[in-house]
Amino acid sequence: MSTDKLYIPRDVPFELAEIDLEHASDDQLKEISDESGTALALDEMRRIRDHFKDKGRNPTDVELQSIGQAWSEHCCYKSSKIYLKQYVFGIDTPQVIDRGDAGVMEFDRDHAYALRIESHNHPSAVEPYGGAATGIGGIIRDVLCMGAQPIALVDPLFFGPLDYPVEKLQAGIKHPKYLLGGIVAGIRDYGNRVGLPTVSGGLWFDESYVGNCLVNVGCIGVGEKKNIRRNAVKGPGDELILVGGMTGRDGIHGVTFASAVLTKESETESRGAVQLGDPIMKEPVIHALLEANERRLVNGMKDLGGGGLSCVVGEIALAGGCGAEVDLGKVPLKEEGLAPWEIWVSESQERMMLSVSPKNVEEVLHIFKVWDVPATPVGKVIREKVVRLFFQGEKVFDLDLEFLTAGPIYCRPCGIERSKKDVSERTPKAKDRYDKELLRLLASPNVCSKEWVIRQYDHEVRGATVIKPLHGKLGHSSHGDAAVLKPIEDSFRGLAIATASNPFAVGIDPYRGGKTCVDEMCRNLVSVGARPHSFTNCLNFGNPEKPDRLWLFREAVRGIGEVAAALMIPTPSGNVSFYNESPGGAVLPTPTLLGCGIARDIRRCVTSDLKREGNTLAMIGSTKPEMGGSEYYRLTRGRSSKVPDVDIPVLKAGMDVVLGGIDRGAILSCHDISDGGLAVAVAEMCVGGDIGVDADISKMERFRTDVRLFSESNSRWLVELRKGKEKLLPKDRRVRVVKLGTIGGHNLTLRSNKKVIDLEVAALEDRFTSTLWRMLG
Amino acid sequence: MKASNVRVCVLRIEGTNCEEESYQAFRRLGAKPEKVHLKQLTGADVTNEEKRSLDDYHILVLPGGFSAGDYVRAGAIFAARMKSKLARDLEDFVKDGKPVLGICNGFQILVETGLLPAMSGVMSEYPEAVLGTNDSARFECRPTLLKKVNRGSCVFTSRISLDKVSLIPSAHAEGKLMFPLDKSKAVLKHLEDNDQIVFKYVDPEGRLAGYPWCPNGSTASIAGICNRDGNVFGLMPHPERVFFRFTHPDWTRESDGPGDGRAVFESVIDYVTKKL
Repeated sequence: MSTDKLYIPRDVPFELAEIDLEHASDDQLKEISDESGTALALDEMRRIRDHFKDKGRNPTDVELQSIGQAWSEHCCYKSSKIYLKQYVFGIDTPQVIDRGDAGVMEFDRDHAYALRIESHNHPSAVEPYGGAATGIGGIIRDVLCMGAQPIALVDPLFFGPLDYPVEKLQAGIKHPKYLLGGIVAGIRDYGNRVGLPTVSGGLWFDESYVGNCLVNVGCIGVGEKKNIRRNAVKGPGDELILVGGMTGRDGIHGVTFASAVLTKESETESRGAVQLGDPIMKEPVIHALLEANERRLVNGMKDLGGGGLSCVVGEIALAGGCGAEVDLGKVPLKEEGLAPWEIWVSESQERMMLSVSPKNVEEVLHIFKVWDVPATPVGKVIREKVVRLFFQGEKVFDLDLEFLTAGPIYCRPCGIERSKKDVSERTPKAKDRYDKELLRLLASPNVCSKEWVIRQYDHEVRGATVIKPLHGKLGHSSHGDAAVLKPIEDSFRGLAIATASNPFAVGIDPYRGGKTCVDEMCRNLVSVGARPHSFTNCLNFGNPEKPDRLWLFREAVRGIGEVAAALMIPTPSGNVSFYNESPGGAVLPTPTLLGCGIARDIRRCVTSDLKREGNTLAMIGSTKPEMGGSEYYRLTRGRSSKVPDVDIPVLKAGMDVVLGGIDRGAILSCHDISDGGLAVAVAEMCVGGDIGVDADISKMERFRTDVRLFSESNSRWLVELRKGKEKLLPKDRRVRVVKLGTIGGHNLTLRSNKKVIDLEVAALEDRFTSTLWRMLG
Repeated sequence: MKASNVRVCVLRIEGTNCEEESYQAFRRLGAKPEKVHLKQLTGADVTNEEKRSLDDYHILVLPGGFSAGDYVRAGAIFAARMKSKLARDLEDFVKDGKPVLGICNGFQILVETGLLPAMSGVMSEYPEAVLGTNDSARFECRPTLLKKVNRGSCVFTSRISLDKVSLIPSAHAEGKLMFPLDKSKAVLKHLEDNDQIVFKYVDPEGRLAGYPWCPNGSTASIAGICNRDGNVFGLMPHPERVFFRFTHPDWTRESDGPGDGRAVFESVIDYVTKKL
């Protein structure tokens, strides 16, 4: 059934149509939704039809497009909100200052920091370089519009195996190697140009990411509390000034593209949904905007991200209890001939909206002029809570904000727990020696040194990166657990930044996996001497309309929320990315956490590389036979449903022991135990310090040797204790401390009566550092 | 002159992104730095209060970054904009013996402007050298060790003893110093004879280094050069990033003393306070 007759063109010299929803059948409603590219469901179309019926008129195409943006999963979190509310939104501490486009937390008496992480998965899967670059651009704006100076970037990435056979790739899917190369280059070229250090992140590889890679991008900012702004207008009369890039046809329907699964046609059909980034527009925008803000000329600001103008105008106005009138004809365009609806929903990059009192407009425009950044007043704030749009004198849009922004909230069907017997147990054969296993683990892409990537990102620009992503003696390096920045010139207070994710554990047991992610984030922050303070998350899952996928989401969020609430670590911002599916299936359920911690004095921070011969190596925490999802089991094709659990009081106590030990100078080096277990953690510490260890693991819990070596049980750290200061390590009866051995020599020797591993540090280093160079060149 | 009277112009355009830490390095030593947009010197689009003259300053700093995106040869756009309007001012500044520092992108700009190596005169009409793409064809962010080889001409390194090795990190994609291939040897000899080579990349044993200790494949492992009078100095590595010990990459192994980059800023302030 054709819908042609339902589009009634208005007699104006540009493209504008009214859509006769009232006389549309259900089939036609669905078809209109498809034709408009808005991905609205039938129920939603019916609700729109009824709303306009009450108003006694038909919607224009601009209005329908706008509702499509506002009600997309990406913008209104319609499938996830119910669970986020239940499990994570409630965690609150007095240090939470705002929950806007980015969360804002107290840093010290006068300063605040802002944090956010989000996904840019679908654009990056279609156009890796541009997709990743604009992801960085977008996350920077989220932090900037809180009034904070962006100071660091973070980027966890998830790909299919680098050696995935080309002939197995389905149509329209790009090879992981190509994706990784393009995405790293996109982040590098944007981040380095805009002058922000990329200080943390990670690379994960699994077959489930072949069809839908994940690109999560995070940003941290810092500002004086008095300069922090809400994403809101002050009141009626405020001028709305659009600053930054011009508006074009790039990035149309980005949010609706992000709210559907990828198909083999995505490459051709949705390339126009990928925006084009321009760091050399962004860089001066940062200067001009912060200057205008510091001079108190700006009442509120908000970034143009998903949905473009259509989302920003309504949201910034409503947040101030107002509405707005905008003249679309004033919006500076990249090319002539855009229809009003295209201008309204375009997601062209590098744009921000400022709300400015009329008396300050001229000064603001001057600041932007000096930086050669376009700035144009496009509208005014009004008292009524409506948005009205005009184009060449014609009113093309008139919608109540309460209706526009009240997107549906769903309680979609959620699958019941999968039966345990799905996972058959398979234990690898016990052996006398594990040298080979350790070498293979160190070389595995998930564990190996990420130096190939890290050194392409400037991680020191701004001169404030105190603990860097790579630790070690000059010429040798291993991974750190967290980066530390010293953001305030005349203060030694440090902001620690760590990334955590464990899709393998979440995939087997989402509840315990979710808990594990929070544990890992805390371990990472504590390892450098910082107390966890807040976190933000990006939750990457499959299609929420499928009950089993939604169940994974709910359970993971429940696990995350449980540990975070017990530790009182709030999450002032977050992002959900559903529909991470391709014809090959859904990705592993992947919550990514970006944690921030406070180090009271950066001069006390420690790194993971071993320091001095003769010092003692000790393990803090208890080891259990929890091998499910472990790197070792994946290597040896073992199977277990038992993934590491978190004993919250023990985690808490363990954190206090480590933090106390670092603060009192008892701990010289510290590394958390995660992928690959004890053996990999100690090997990394040896590689960074270019020194050996002789340790006896028989003092650990009585389990099989491979469990002791490779278990990834939570809440554990390896520490180097300073000779003569060992007793300063705080004691807690809930926290097991095992003195494993002594640092020194050129070999890593692990004994359990007999030697179970004995390898030269140089051999460990070679295996650890060569994988990515070999695979990526 | 007292340090507190030393006025430093930290010059920037869009894409300059190391101005804050460069500014702080001078401020920490008691000088009076100011972040100045190039338009404030040329007078375009700015108010009278915002206008500045190069003559008002004692030191000119071109910080690191990606000025104008570096989408053509690194530093070329900044250099062209500056030279088209300020060539006379720049020449006078240098002739007066006032110091000019170019770090990373700033070094590239000085070479593109013709202020370095300036084999004869103050500013050559065309560039006499180039900072080409690294041999690795990649952006390289890594610690580098610089040996001071300057015998005394350079006013930015007087506080660093000859042959001393300093840890000053690099972060660039175009840092390979090259001269016209047909006269590379002659140019090199000329620079050595005139004491224009300041820093060379070395390995932890102090030997002239190949990759990765020399991150770019630079001619004769050169990391930084100055003009014949020693008052114009450009280098690829970033001394402003190691002003303090705790931004050294390995400071947790031994954390005493100031950062290795601090001496560069102290040296030039010494020079200005004593000589100008």
